[in-house]
Amino acid sequence: MPKILKPTQPEKCIGCEMCVFEAQRQLKKIGMEESLVRVFRKKSEGKQNVEFELEIDPRINILDIEKISSICPRKVFEVLIEQDLVDDKDQKHEKSAEQEKDIERKKGL
Amino acid sequence: MINTTVKKVLDIDLETQKAETKSFTDLNNYFGGTGLGLKLLEMYSEKNPLIISTGPLNGFFPFVSKASIVLINDGAVEDIYLGGSISTRIKFAGLDSIVIHGTAKEETVIEIQNSNAFLKEGGTDLESLGLPGKRTVIEFDGKKVISDQYFTTPENYLEKKFIEKNIKGLSITGTEVYSPKDFDEYKNLYEEILNRKNELSVEMGGYPSCSGCPMGCGKSKIGEIGGNILLNSLVACQYADKIYTDIGTVFSCLNSLGYEYTHEDIENLPTLVEQTIKKI
Repeated sequence: MPKILKPTQPEKCIGCEMCVFEAQRQLKKIGMEESLVRVFRKKSEGKQNVEFELEIDPRINILDIEKISSICPRKVFEVLIEQDLVDDKDQKHEKSAEQEKDIERKKGL
Repeated sequence: MINTTVKKVLDIDLETQKAETKSFTDLNNYFGGTGLGLKLLEMYSEKNPLIISTGPLNGFFPFVSKASIVLINDGAVEDIYLGGSISTRIKFAGLDSIVIHGTAKEETVIEIQNSNAFLKEGGTDLESLGLPGKRTVIEFDGKKVISDQYFTTPENYLEKKFIEKNIKGLSITGTEVYSPKDFDEYKNLYEEILNRKNELSVEMGGYPSCSGCPMGCGKSKIGEIGGNILLNSLVACQYADKIYTDIGTVFSCLNSLGYEYTHEDIENLPTLVEQTIKKI
């Protein structure tokens, strides 16, 4: 099953860009240009809270994503197996179908 | 390709509103950072310069994540250090130093994209300049000069210089890409140094971190002032002094990037810098 790098806890990101540089090193490059993962600083009104956003190019999954995930000091990423994502989606779908039925039942009452 | 034989300096004249990139082949013995900054301060001493520099290892190795700022404050030479993403952006802009001299007639915002500089009016929205994800934004809010909305420098030397020169902010974007000749050797050394994080004198934390440093420590916010000349010429973090004052380690790092410095060059740096300061 193909593996996928997913930022499951992006709110923990501290903007160190270790993931950016690791992805680039795997491509024998040093720099920010054409990186398959990018870290953006979110513009915030209050200057006390700095937040970051991550953007991941799906092509990153051809790299050693376990290594990219493990270099993150804040455990922002998880390596998921594609089937897990499908199962997760199915579960959510079943759940919402049940919820819809429940609402219909309540309406009937 | 990493330029190991030339120091590239972006010269920005606020008086004439002109900028040009200068290449120096005779400044290599100053390494970079504060060593190079002090030499440039001597060269530009008549022009009240503000000099921002990176070292040869910035962007390439972990815990080498600050930029050196050299200036004259009330007649005294000062060196302060700013964290965040500034060092990697200057490095990936292909520059060793940025020298800003003269005084702008009107409040000015400086946009740097690789080796080009564009001077804009003070009201320009800094967030509209440069390339997100590849830039650093430095803004003077009237009280402090703040980089990446978080990082500052000690004292008020930088703020005073921004006021003197009429600078409202800077945006620096770097899009150059490098590849050391022996990439595997470089990569092994990188990983070896990254594994030495327990030698740092700060704890890991969840604070915004400097680019290329995984520590997230609470101390990088306020920057640094003064310190060891080798460390400051590499512009390594002062909390990584055990790693980057070890001449063997520094020598290996420089060699892996293709620099042809000798042990003697490293050992002679403090004397060279001392002589330069005496001339300023």
